[in-house]
Amino acid sequence: MGNGIFGIGISGLNAAQAGLLTTGHNISNAATPGYNRQQIVESSNRPHLTGSGYLGQGVQVSTVRRVYSEFLAGQVSQAQTQSSQLDSYYSQIRLLNNMLGDPSAGLSPTLQSFFNATQDVAADPASVPSRQVLLGSAQSLATRFQELNQRFTEFRDGVNSQIVGSVTEINSLAQQIANLNQSIALVGDANSRQPANDLLDQRDALVAELGRVINIAVVRQSDGTFNVFVGNGQALVLGALTLTLDTMASSADPAKTVVGYVAGGNTIPIPESTLQGGSLGGVLAFRSGTLDSAQNALGRVAIGLAQTFNDQHRLGQDLNGAIGGDFFGVAVPGVISVAGNNPASSVAASISNAGALTTSDYQFDFDGTNYTLTRLSDNTSVSSTVLPSGAAPLSLDGISITAATINASESFVIQPTRNGARDITVTINDTGKIAAAAPIRTAAALTNSGSATISAGSVNSPPPVDIDLQQAVTIAFHVPYDGQFDVTGAGAGLPANNQAYTAGADISFHGWTLQISGSPAAGDTFTIGPNSNGASDNRNALLLGSLQIQNTLADGTTTYQSAYGQLVSQVGNKTRELEVTSKAQANLVAQTEQAQQSVSGVNLDEEAANLLRYQQAYQAAGKVIQIANMLFDTLLNLDR
Amino acid sequence: MRVSTNSVYELGVASILRQQEGLLKTQQQVSTGRRILTPADDPVAAARALDVTQAESLNTQYAENRNDAATSLGLAESVLQAVTSLVHDVRTVALTAGNPILIDRDRASLATGLRGRLDELIGLANSVDGAGEHLFSGYQGRTKPFAQTAAGVQYSGDQGQRLIQASASRQIAVSDSGTDVFERIKNGNGVFVATAAAANSGSGVISPGTVVTPASLTGHDYQITFSVAAGAVTYNVVDTTTATTLSTANPYTSGNSISFDGLQLEIQGTPADGDQFTVAPSTNQSLFRTLSDLIAVVAAPLSGQNGSAKLINGLNAALLNLDHGLDNILGIRAAIGTRLQEVDALQSAGDGLAVQYQQTLSQLQDVDYAKAIATLNQQQVYLEAAQKSFVKVSGLSLFEYI
Repeated sequence: MGNGIFGIGISGLNAAQAGLLTTGHNISNAATPGYNRQQIVESSNRPHLTGSGYLGQGVQVSTVRRVYSEFLAGQVSQAQTQSSQLDSYYSQIRLLNNMLGDPSAGLSPTLQSFFNATQDVAADPASVPSRQVLLGSAQSLATRFQELNQRFTEFRDGVNSQIVGSVTEINSLAQQIANLNQSIALVGDANSRQPANDLLDQRDALVAELGRVINIAVVRQSDGTFNVFVGNGQALVLGALTLTLDTMASSADPAKTVVGYVAGGNTIPIPESTLQGGSLGGVLAFRSGTLDSAQNALGRVAIGLAQTFNDQHRLGQDLNGAIGGDFFGVAVPGVISVAGNNPASSVAASISNAGALTTSDYQFDFDGTNYTLTRLSDNTSVSSTVLPSGAAPLSLDGISITAATINASESFVIQPTRNGARDITVTINDTGKIAAAAPIRTAAALTNSGSATISAGSVNSPPPVDIDLQQAVTIAFHVPYDGQFDVTGAGAGLPANNQAYTAGADISFHGWTLQISGSPAAGDTFTIGPNSNGASDNRNALLLGSLQIQNTLADGTTTYQSAYGQLVSQVGNKTRELEVTSKAQANLVAQTEQAQQSVSGVNLDEEAANLLRYQQAYQAAGKVIQIANMLFDTLLNLDR
Repeated sequence: MRVSTNSVYELGVASILRQQEGLLKTQQQVSTGRRILTPADDPVAAARALDVTQAESLNTQYAENRNDAATSLGLAESVLQAVTSLVHDVRTVALTAGNPILIDRDRASLATGLRGRLDELIGLANSVDGAGEHLFSGYQGRTKPFAQTAAGVQYSGDQGQRLIQASASRQIAVSDSGTDVFERIKNGNGVFVATAAAANSGSGVISPGTVVTPASLTGHDYQITFSVAAGAVTYNVVDTTTATTLSTANPYTSGNSISFDGLQLEIQGTPADGDQFTVAPSTNQSLFRTLSDLIAVVAAPLSGQNGSAKLINGLNAALLNLDHGLDNILGIRAAIGTRLQEVDALQSAGDGLAVQYQQTLSQLQDVDYAKAIATLNQQQVYLEAAQKSFVKVSGLSLFEYI
């Protein structure tokens, strides 16, 4: 019997000791990330059958269990993946938002001072200083566009290096998970069948960490190992095996780094739409959802401004009496030959109407029958069975394909506005070349006896101006007066006799349009001729200045300023949306984590109580042994 | 619910951080005075603020343009004021020259004075602005518009008129061409010119005439020819454009009206046999030409009865043309005055707009200080509460007691 009491006492001591060990382990790992608290599971030993029934044989620790809820852990990791995507998107777009929102660093101040300078030239067209100021402010406008674009390029580079960093992290985490898989399989195979709690915790922590980088699918195998998949089912970890991801330049845009998986020595790109969640998903979403369209929007303002300003400028006459040239240098659409195209294939794209441009990118392809130009933002397309040419271009949204050498099933990516802000330049550096004047002027002969007046006349757009624009033309009313006039002069289409007169109606020859109003008399003549020496003429400068408040962009719906304002509010809205959703998601993460921690987390007070409990159990078990010893002594002292 | 020690710390720290973030944002709003720190704070207001800023900047630019316009118009007005008084002076001289007491020498010295006035007028017409650009040369600011030539004063500018953007929707003319100011002036009575032939030997003086029946006007040239036979003075009227004789052998009485084809005029004095008077449609005659003609009339020495008639006919024509010139200048000055008034009106409208834009901008992006400071105090209280309660909660540990 005494033996039994000793045994029971010792089993109690051992169990209490195991309890103290586990409690100590919990206390020391209270702050370990991914740690789940552990408990010992005690059970009574198989009892001993005696004549008087079953006598207990003490206690044994059957296992050490980690308190873990797969459901809650899954919730946390799901919420965490979402949250880190939103966080990473938000932290990127916040920088862009700050840059655009800075009142002194945005586009608006330079845009305004440029047009103020244009107005100053209109107020005093012959003044060299005001012309000089216009050139200077045009230069700073172009520089501001380039600076803003430079920031976009920096963002793009930042995105690329984050993608590379994320992929490195994914590969490293995958390797660690695979190693742990191996260890867990080995330990799990041992005869004990006891769970390797701390290894499982470590692996769970690694999987959660991987989930913060990219959304993953985890499949538990029967041997306790995990298989991990990314994207649309690309295996990352298969038991103890890993497959690696790699980065590469996109075939559709060399400036973009994309993620691919390595198979048979080749890197095959993974479609971006399947790479969601996690910080990598956030960076990719930032690039495709905001960065591309924002940079395009800025480029569109630059191209639209440069093109429409040029168009008006080319209708004017400079201080030397020559027809105005281009004021700004305008970016040409970027054409990217998709990898796999025959190197001899090529496409010529040009901007035919800057006012119709959108912020999307485009794709041009040929399926063997149809040539198709597609707007990538919503897949709207136009197609033709005829090879596009200069005479019959394939046009969509102001972009024209004017020539193509393309084989069946090849495609090209067209980025009409991406480099708009980068490539805007000021091509005029001589103040005399600013075309503030109109190239023609009109006059009513002093001998006229009627009361008719002639308007100053305007030059028809678009440029180039008519070759006969500055030819001297005379409008003479018939004698006797019969409501008709003859138009005479050199150039195509003249003389044009017997034109019916309607007061205030447009009269248009040689690329100009003017109106005669009032009552002309017999023999009245009006002349139109070159505006030689027109140094004080500001008609074209007035028209240039009025471009600021004209709806020139987006099919005539918005001004330069509003187009930029749209960009600012678009980025601002998205930032706000992300600010709100990322906060909400962070709250969700906090709540699910709290729920998970309430099950699995260590509570130090609880552990302190456990320490007391096991200490007392240990002391009590010791007492049992002491009692057993006393019982034995009693027997020994019976003969005294 | 069971709470893990980690949760106690994480939740406590998270709530402190959240309070701090809010506090910092309010502090930034207060210190910058701006409610919208980045577009994300209020994307719609941020974009609208950009638009309003542009409108405000444009409004400022228009105000500058209006100042330029006022300067140019004021300059033209002061030059034209000088021209007006010059024409008045010349008119006085022309009246003086008609005084029968004066002898040739007196008139010669008057003519010398008038020559000086002509040069002065050319000088005024060639006025330049502060930047050295001519006021009355149309688009050709660097071209001197009027110059004396053998054929009289010639204009080498054009008929262009410079406009300035005075508001978003209004362009105001800030210049008038030399043609409009000095050249486009009808001679005669504005409809027709009645002149005495240079070879007349009688003392007939013709009046400018008037239009009685505008509907009957033909715009033709006419000739009135006198014949004196046996003491009886008669005249014929011939339409020289169509070479038709309108009336013959009309008896002549000095000062009686002669009417045909809707117009009416008088001839006074005694015309000699064969004296002719012509009536022609008015044409444009420059102020310079009027002045040169006047100088020629005043400078010519008188000889006999017809000499006096010639002087009076010449002076009458000159006075008439000077009056038309004056009317034209005054008309232009009135137009300039109207434009200046409009500039003033637009200026005060622009000032009003500027205040409105400022208010809109302020409403869009400025912080409400009372509200912000109340929020700041509130957030401070919350932060302190979060900190203190965290210290209390995290300080509670069973380990303190064992």
